Amino acid sequence: MDVAEGFRCHREKIVDRWVEYVLSTYTSSGFFLKERDKFANPVGGNLREGLQKLFLLLSKGADPKEFTAPLEQIISIRSVQEFTPAQAVAPLNAVKHIVREVFEADKERKQLVDVLYDFEFNVDLAVLAAFDIYMKYRERLYQVRINEIRSGNHVLTDSKCPSNRLAGDNKGVIKGAL
Amino acid sequence: MSVTKLEQLSKSVVQGPSLATGAIPTRDWMDIPVKFKAGNYAYVAKKDKVEYLNSQSGLSFPNAREWSPEEDDWKLPEDWKEIILTGLKERLDKFRSLKIFMDCCVRCGACADKCHFFLGTGDPKNMPVLRAELLRSIYRNDFTLAGKLFGKMAGAREMTVGVLKEWFMYSYQCTECRRCSVFCPYGIDTAEVTMMIRELLHLVGIGINWILEPVSNSNRTGNHMGLQPHTFKDNVEFLVEDVESLTGVKPNISFNRKGAEILFITPSADVFAEPGLYTAMGYLLLFEAIGLDYTWSTYASEGGNFGLFTNNEAMKKLNAKMYAEAERLGVKYILGGECGHMWRVVHQYMETMNGPADFLEKPVSPITGTVFENAASSKMVHLSEFTADLIKHGKLKFDKSRNSHIKATFHDSCNPARAMGLIDEPRYILDHVVDWVEMPENTIREQTFCCGSGTGLNTDEIMELRMRSGLPRANAVKYVQEKHGVNMLSCVCAIDRATLTSLNDYWTPGVGVCGVTELVANAIVQEGETRGELEEGLRTMVF
Repeated sequence: MDVAEGFRCHREKIVDRWVEYVLSTYTSSGFFLKERDKFANPVGGNLREGLQKLFLLLSKGADPKEFTAPLEQIISIRSVQEFTPAQAVAPLNAVKHIVREVFEADKERKQLVDVLYDFEFNVDLAVLAAFDIYMKYRERLYQVRINEIRSGNHVLTDSKCPSNRLAGDNKGVIKGAL
Repeated sequence: MSVTKLEQLSKSVVQGPSLATGAIPTRDWMDIPVKFKAGNYAYVAKKDKVEYLNSQSGLSFPNAREWSPEEDDWKLPEDWKEIILTGLKERLDKFRSLKIFMDCCVRCGACADKCHFFLGTGDPKNMPVLRAELLRSIYRNDFTLAGKLFGKMAGAREMTVGVLKEWFMYSYQCTECRRCSVFCPYGIDTAEVTMMIRELLHLVGIGINWILEPVSNSNRTGNHMGLQPHTFKDNVEFLVEDVESLTGVKPNISFNRKGAEILFITPSADVFAEPGLYTAMGYLLLFEAIGLDYTWSTYASEGGNFGLFTNNEAMKKLNAKMYAEAERLGVKYILGGECGHMWRVVHQYMETMNGPADFLEKPVSPITGTVFENAASSKMVHLSEFTADLIKHGKLKFDKSRNSHIKATFHDSCNPARAMGLIDEPRYILDHVVDWVEMPENTIREQTFCCGSGTGLNTDEIMELRMRSGLPRANAVKYVQEKHGVNMLSCVCAIDRATLTSLNDYWTPGVGVCGVTELVANAIVQEGETRGELEEGLRTMVF
């Protein structure tokens, strides 16, 4: 009986508990957990999908580069919600504890908790990657802000309009273009 | 990293229940105060803008001052509470709908999970039912017997500064998109509750600059940008030059021309900022192709009406300007461009506020003879209705391959879709001009998700909030981007064109935003054209 078999056997339970834990960081976790339509519940749906994919990769020891897609699905959302950077990525770490709990509760697989080093190392790599992704999305957000402030401006500042020479008054108004 | 016990992990990273996210609430919603911090509120209105508006005829915006939501003291008038309660009483007497909405909610929760703000934040106070409850609890306390007798047990609470702050926070976390009202079995229009809360806040000088400055500009020069007539004219003329250099066709335009058959009004952003510029170029090409007898106006140079986001007096005044100009020019009726909330004002409030517009005629298409019975009262026809009718009668010639660089989808803008039922016309147009696909069923048509930045929330200081409230829409766009290779999100609203651009830049880079008329003009074939291969349609750079 090896770890891979243990993961296969308990995958559903582990992922469910992980999803539940991650969604418990939201005030309305009940709804985010219950509604399974991804379009009616984008936070719950995307987090569930992302965690499912990520767990598969973690448990089979996939190349950490492959973590990026599911991590982006999760972290792009948490980057713009009211979390500190630590709060945004920390729930990913919970899967280590969940796996240990699940294996410990299974008499036949109890001994597997001693051979989880590779899996837990993968989780560490995923959490570190999540920090990078968090920053990537924060930077993207700032770029979106800059783009929006710029948009429309050039039309006014580069035009021949005489009111362009009037100081101040028009400048703040055009950004974002209503 | 060591293995962490779940409880410890929760404790160390989640210090306690935070407002929007963070943990399960441990207190009743009435006991959780709002906390303002940079990024979770839009900048408040500048003192001079409020002073100016307050000095204008027909408008009232008192208590102009310098203040900040982050400070404890909001510098309210001494008798603020009396002002609010008297204001509420006046509105309950004046607007029967408000009285009904206050009374008839049974808290069934059908609306609760339909709000894009709730879906993106998980904050219970963004459930439409609870957002309305912020006002309803005060109504119960002061205007119902049960509330007076049983207080909190009957869901009532006293009006306090804390409640006022809560109103400010959450009435500006609602875009009045009305998706929730589609699902309400009683037909409660929660957007109108938000409108009333915002009105009441203005009575004591609480409002945001991104709304009041455009209102002030519209009142002064006729458009949100505060641009003067010659600037408006210059910019439309620049677009004419662009169209000519791209297609060889020089659109014939006129301004403030008395005796024109039709007055054309569109959001000013179409004339001044990308990507709306291309939609405006589309208008010019389309009207030229059919030889429409129309005029632009440099006075009614704005279709948008940010008055809708402040109070009914400002909305009325800005709306009246369009009709006054139509009367002055002696046109037969008004043709409206691709705007969102302009259509809500025209279809739902114009008749009551400024109607009847009996100095205008029932709209008839001069090209097809179609009578627009649906606009018999408002005397204002939506460009998509007008264009769909032209196509139906074979009056336009298209080469769809001119849009072959585009795989489109269509975003139903909240107001045209839900406030005027404009759902099939844009789709009919798209069928003829571009290859396009629908987004998932529960995110389109009447159930469309808002861009997340309507009602004057399209300001950059609340970008995170906009990104999370726009997530439900972006999530559907992402789906069609991945599944069908969609690279263009078409829509019929100027705020959408600006805000969905930012939304896509964050969530779905590579998906552009355009107006439906831009796609029409890309595909249009007309006499005298000398256009070459325009690889990006009207967006092709020509040197």
